[in-house]
Amino acid sequence: MKVCLLYKDRERLNEETYYDAASIIKDLGLKHLFLASAKRLIFENGEVKSVEKEDQYIMETMRGVMMTPLSAWDEIRFRQEIIKDSVANEELIRSLYLICGEVLRKWNGLGRGAREKINQSNPVTRLTADIKVLHLFVESLGRIRELLQAEDVKLSSEGMVHFRDEFLKAFSEKRQEFMESVLADISFYTDGSDEEDEGRNRVVRPRIVMESGLEDGLKFSSLKLEEVSSRGEKFYKPGSAKYKIREFVNSRVPDSFSTINDSRVSDQTQILEYGIVSYLVEELKKEMEEFLTFFDRLRNQTAFYLGAVQLGAQMERLGDGWCFPTVCDRRDLEFNDLKELVMGLERHVDVIGNTCSLKEKDLVIVTGANQGGKSTFLRSIGIAQVMMQCGLMVMARSYSAGIFPKIFVHFTRREDSEMNSGRLDEELKRMNGIVENVGEGSLLLLNESFATTTEKEGSFIAYDIISALKEAGVRILTVTHLLSFARRVFEETKEASETDVEFLTAERKEDGRRTFRMIRHEPELTSFGLDLYREIVGEIDM
Amino acid sequence: MIKDANNFSILNPGAREFEPLEAVPFYQDLNLDQVINKMMLRWGKEMKKYYRYMPTSPEEVAYRRAVYRDIKSDKVYDTLVSFTENLAGIDLLRAEKEKVRIPMQKYVWFIREVGAYCEAYEELEKRLDEAGLESEGMKTFLSILKDILGSGGYRELAARTRDIMAQIKSMRFIITYDKDRMSVELGELEGEGAYEEMLERECGKEIRHLQNPFIADPTITGIENSCLEILMKKRPEFFDGLKKTAELNAGYEKKVLKRFENEVVYYLSFATLQREMESAGYRFSEPECDETKKMEAKGLYDLALALASVSSGKEVVANDFCYGEGERFFVLTGPNQGGKTTFARSLGQLVFLALMGFDVPAESANVHFFPAIQTHFSVEESVETGKGKLKEELTRLAPMMEDNQKDTFVVINELFTTAANYDAQIMGRNVLKHFIGLGCMGIYVTHLKELSEGHESVVSLRATLGDDMIPTFRIARGEASDVACAEAVVNKYRLTYEQLKERL
Repeated sequence: MKVCLLYKDRERLNEETYYDAASIIKDLGLKHLFLASAKRLIFENGEVKSVEKEDQYIMETMRGVMMTPLSAWDEIRFRQEIIKDSVANEELIRSLYLICGEVLRKWNGLGRGAREKINQSNPVTRLTADIKVLHLFVESLGRIRELLQAEDVKLSSEGMVHFRDEFLKAFSEKRQEFMESVLADISFYTDGSDEEDEGRNRVVRPRIVMESGLEDGLKFSSLKLEEVSSRGEKFYKPGSAKYKIREFVNSRVPDSFSTINDSRVSDQTQILEYGIVSYLVEELKKEMEEFLTFFDRLRNQTAFYLGAVQLGAQMERLGDGWCFPTVCDRRDLEFNDLKELVMGLERHVDVIGNTCSLKEKDLVIVTGANQGGKSTFLRSIGIAQVMMQCGLMVMARSYSAGIFPKIFVHFTRREDSEMNSGRLDEELKRMNGIVENVGEGSLLLLNESFATTTEKEGSFIAYDIISALKEAGVRILTVTHLLSFARRVFEETKEASETDVEFLTAERKEDGRRTFRMIRHEPELTSFGLDLYREIVGEIDM
Repeated sequence: MIKDANNFSILNPGAREFEPLEAVPFYQDLNLDQVINKMMLRWGKEMKKYYRYMPTSPEEVAYRRAVYRDIKSDKVYDTLVSFTENLAGIDLLRAEKEKVRIPMQKYVWFIREVGAYCEAYEELEKRLDEAGLESEGMKTFLSILKDILGSGGYRELAARTRDIMAQIKSMRFIITYDKDRMSVELGELEGEGAYEEMLERECGKEIRHLQNPFIADPTITGIENSCLEILMKKRPEFFDGLKKTAELNAGYEKKVLKRFENEVVYYLSFATLQREMESAGYRFSEPECDETKKMEAKGLYDLALALASVSSGKEVVANDFCYGEGERFFVLTGPNQGGKTTFARSLGQLVFLALMGFDVPAESANVHFFPAIQTHFSVEESVETGKGKLKEELTRLAPMMEDNQKDTFVVINELFTTAANYDAQIMGRNVLKHFIGLGCMGIYVTHLKELSEGHESVVSLRATLGDDMIPTFRIARGEASDVACAEAVVNKYRLTYEQLKERL
């Protein structure tokens, strides 16, 4: 039984994760995003009443799924549709996720994953545990069927509809009835073993009929099982008058012997019961084989959708909400009111969005004064891109971008104080790793790269590396203070009527007010250095 | 030959009993132990003693050779191999029987064992009959076997056991376990068991049958026994008859067959080894044993070395030799690591295998009869040196040189290496003279080139070097010389005076 909610045709995540996912998570601050998706907001009268503690499993799952990009619009749409269903049927997704978690927890309690320990244990204990697991399966699968068939559940996505149809086929009512009837027939084996059964004035006894022959050592051979059933009877204390009467009546069966009076025979009666029950249990286990990984998979895949639903609620809480992005050509990028989600989540405020429209650009160079929101701009694109590429919604009015299966980030990490010595070395080493891994559909986000050396030297390095990568077809967005570099590129392209390079800066009105619109802007030759000089030292001759 | 059904051996025509040889050094010196140990892996430890039992006359050699010729043929070989496999199966049945406590099961297992035993011989007889036996030994055995199978014999017993087993297997009964009792009635269910049929229907696929839960215990368990007792009550005449058959045939094994079973492994083990080696590309041939012709061999190789090389893939060099008219001893000289010891061993192996009646590892060979093989190899790993080592060598040599050791085949490998050259020459010459005087033949490997001179019965052989001064492992007649064995190594590393001049 396949779940196939993450991909139309596969259960496990694609093996192609982002190169250096750890850097992407760190530089884009995605940890906060994983955390937010793992928290349930409890609303009351439209207000957030409380926030549940985060679910570790959802966090881990979001991390895994988000770091494994999809590579086609179809795949993205497939998940977007399921997210829409999930938002509309939040209770279904939540219940599926919780039931699976509960099954797995109980199953672990019954010894799943501790096979070695269990194998050493008493076979009777093992068989009893197996029967309990079967009960757990049948009951939980029954609950899942009820959920999927509930009247108020309306599913329209291809993925959810297919999952429901396949499940109803795999675990039909008829199948459930069969499983339950066999489990009832062998209930003599486990009933009475639980503490709650003690004290009840009733025991469950078996009736077994089989045909046998003899093999050449006079042992039983070629058995045929005719009947197995369990029947409750009143419990009488051994030795009591009623017990004796019943024993006497029973003993009048011709050509028979007692299975309780001789200890050798009674021990072996237990072996016989064990043999027959384990035979039936093995057959039932085979019937359940297709569900052995079902709960793990369903839990894993619903965790992502539940995470998406919860993330959506978080976004709504922050402000205007979200949209499903659309896919366009890789050289285009267009968005309206795109917000840096992580910053919003972290600060619990509605952040101000950026709007931007780029057509047929391969290199975007963002310059401008500090505090202008350059890095935020870059990060908001990075975050949206990662979210889009795993099927999630983004926090914007609209967002349209190409698919980049290979996203690389190269952010200067000022906070890594231990790397003070040889920081350029470390930077170039990371760049080397990126260069080794670029390929078709690569997007490189550079944030203040090569700022660990002089501006002049850094500019040369940046020019060489960025030119080469651009010529190799890598789409690059860079936020930089390397003005020599930016100027050099600008001088080269300013005469051309059509250019694939865009220079942006955060717009400021003349009164200094920020519009948070990225506008085309010629890079300056000077930056904050002079300003700073002026601020601290005083006048400077130009 | 007069057939004595109780006194027959496939190893010698007189059915002599024998004591295996004491631990004789030549098995180890000639690396025959390696060969025998290899065979023991498959055929068990017991067979080893038969290799310690050498024929005492040319007639015995001929008797074995004829038997081996029969046994190595495909038909007889396959027949006997499958026969020994059947016997091994019966040994397992015997071992199982010992675990049984319940008398009726013991009877049945005994009958099963007797049946399997008789059938193994029935099959053996049938297949040997069709195999076209030639040797006196095998033909005699077959006629003894026919008598034993004949009227009132194994054939009838086999039929009776088959009938009993068939009846046991056809017995069907229904067990009902309910209300703390189990009841048994003879009869069969309709169909394959209603519950199993239901499972199969519901699961939509074939399911396996219920196994006997008591299968892990080969003996009858309490429940099985209680059921069996009810069955015995219901079918008394059958179970009584079964018991009687078992009791009447308690001593079913015939001594003469037992002896054959043990002894035939001697031939089978070597035939198997030979087949394996042949399929790996090594040649064997049946030796001639003509005393009137020269003793010689072509393409002779060291069987133990060849065995090892099957896995290592190293090439094994074969050599020819011939003792000319009046020649009795080879004195073999040559460089170290030149194949001298290997050649000496292969010569000893040749004589041994030919005497044992087997084929030999050579393209062709004529081997004379020798009443014994004597070897003397220096103990290289001995901690003794100087006087101690010489003493040890001489102590081993003395019993070999007693006057009653006539006409033997002698292999000597490096004597007196620690003695003074002058002494060693004299002692060596004496040893040679002694053995030649007692009518022995053999080979003497030595560093002393002088030993090859001065006796008309002594032939000088040399291990040869190629043009590149690297040993070829070929042994040829030639004048003994002191060969510089270091030259090859020096050449190989370009360290001669000229080479060094060029390089430096």
